[in-house]
Amino acid sequence: MLLALSTVPALGLFGYAWSRQHAYEQKQKEAARPAKAVPTGLSEINVALVGAGAQGQVLLDAMLRIPGLRFRAVCDIWKEYNQRRAVNTLRKYKFEVKGYEDYREMLDQEKDLDAVVIATPDFWHAPHTVDCLKAGKHVYCEKEMSNTLEGARSMVLAARETGKLLQIGHQRRSHPRYLHCHEKLLGEARILGRIVTVNGQWNRAVSADIGYPERYAIPGDRLKQYGFKTMDQFRNWRWYKGLGGGPIVDLGSHQIDIFNWFLGAVPAHVMASGGLDYHDPKTHEWYDTVMAVYEYETPAGPSRAYYQTQTTNGSQGYFENFMGDQGTLVVSESEASYPGFLYRDPNAPAWDEWVRKGYVSAPKVQEARSESKEEVTLDVRESVTPDLHRVPVVLRDPYHQPHLENFFESIRGQATLNCPAEVGYETAVTVLKVNEAVEAKRRLSFRAEEFKV
Amino acid sequence: MNGEGSTVSPTAMAAIVLLRVVIGWHFLYEGVAKLTNPGWSASGYLLQSRGVLSGFFRGLAADPNVLAMVNPLTKWGLTLIGLGLILGCFTRLASAMGILLILLFYLCNPPFVGYFYSIPTEGSYLIVNKNLVELAALAVVLTTGSGRVAGLDRIIHRLLRRRR
Repeated sequence: MLLALSTVPALGLFGYAWSRQHAYEQKQKEAARPAKAVPTGLSEINVALVGAGAQGQVLLDAMLRIPGLRFRAVCDIWKEYNQRRAVNTLRKYKFEVKGYEDYREMLDQEKDLDAVVIATPDFWHAPHTVDCLKAGKHVYCEKEMSNTLEGARSMVLAARETGKLLQIGHQRRSHPRYLHCHEKLLGEARILGRIVTVNGQWNRAVSADIGYPERYAIPGDRLKQYGFKTMDQFRNWRWYKGLGGGPIVDLGSHQIDIFNWFLGAVPAHVMASGGLDYHDPKTHEWYDTVMAVYEYETPAGPSRAYYQTQTTNGSQGYFENFMGDQGTLVVSESEASYPGFLYRDPNAPAWDEWVRKGYVSAPKVQEARSESKEEVTLDVRESVTPDLHRVPVVLRDPYHQPHLENFFESIRGQATLNCPAEVGYETAVTVLKVNEAVEAKRRLSFRAEEFKV
Repeated sequence: MNGEGSTVSPTAMAAIVLLRVVIGWHFLYEGVAKLTNPGWSASGYLLQSRGVLSGFFRGLAADPNVLAMVNPLTKWGLTLIGLGLILGCFTRLASAMGILLILLFYLCNPPFVGYFYSIPTEGSYLIVNKNLVELAALAVVLTTGSGRVAGLDRIIHRLLRRRR
């Protein structure tokens, strides 16, 4: 008998070791999260999440790190899966949340809500946002503001009429690195000189259509009620006309928004080429490849901006590249690939002052190198390689956290929105025109009043 | 210390029991760590698959219905095999299942000539990696009946024999 049970103590030892490990992990997690306790004088904001899909989860994870929020409700038509997952997550964090399928029922029942965070498919943004604003809630709505300009316009008007806050989810507008570039490097230091050309890209590798576990499929009548034909369409709505805007809108709008912001202007013209070059037209309607050229009349002079998005090759990822006569800035939201590189043109005035002020890192002299071991001869006409500096700003929080914080701080009156409805509308006008230009197969012009509501 | 049917020396048997317990510990923790991490999925590992069976493994990751079975099977499989090995309970079944599971892991990402993986590894492997070593060690556990010497199998076998 003794021998039979001789290895049981090993299990006890395992249990002890595991409980220590578990406690350690919990402690690490809590240390990574700001204190849950509401700082004194900070009123709690009652929040609901509408749309608990992939993006809703991203926003939820970021919001769980922000103090002073009380989650009250999650609304998602996929009750069987996404709604349940989000509700369970929030219950684990000790929030008493209710799940809803219909957002109108949620607005009827949850009278105490202060703010609603919307991460539904694009074609639902306008009705969701307008109704929430009219019900007296502040709204954070994911980009793209809407898949139609009428929708986006109704959102701006509703925000104006109700006096409630509407933040559009172009989260780079609150990213400390982008703010640093905008305010310090381009604003105060004018470090790039005259920006004449801009190049933004989002390269994404081929990925399979998003699936779903069949036993959790939404019944057909409910799908239809909410504007979807099939479960596959529901999961891959971004590819369908009338529901989303395709990669140029999903990916491009983040970066084209930065073009407008950093150039301090909206474009005058756009030409574009695009098509469904690779993916199956049975399950994809929007263009998988788009290349667009914008022409700007900036306060400093004309600029041309190229943008490319394609979904067949992921190398080089995503970045925005601003090229001035004194330097170049390559920046992205990612900490991994392009966390802010600056190249000073050798003929430009020295950047010593900006290095001293900590705006840019000390330079690293670029030496001409060759992959081959043999000596290489550089052509005399070749430009001298510029020095490399870095933008010394790192974001350690989830990418969406600062933008959400800006929204909640604005509700408390401690900040102003970094991307209010009017700004989101300008970007929507700028981006949605690309799909129009692809279809028209010619250069389209923007009228200045197009950008105003 | 020799139990019925065993032909190895008591010290060798003690070493085998130790081997069984540490392998069990490893399985159990691999299982528990996955069970307690709500975000865990086998898809990353499966998608990296190389070699002749890579089509099969990537196919598993591509179908959410299949993945919804593979994930709990992996998590609970590792956990239960771990418990079985530590306690010496159904030792042969646990060892056989463990060998099968590790064989799948091994074949999913085999360290063959010219294959590179982005999953960080702490050592250098050529054909033989730690998966294969653990698999071979389980073959020893499978064939030596250590559960009937030091483990719950001792009780289970006695009960079974009494019934007969």
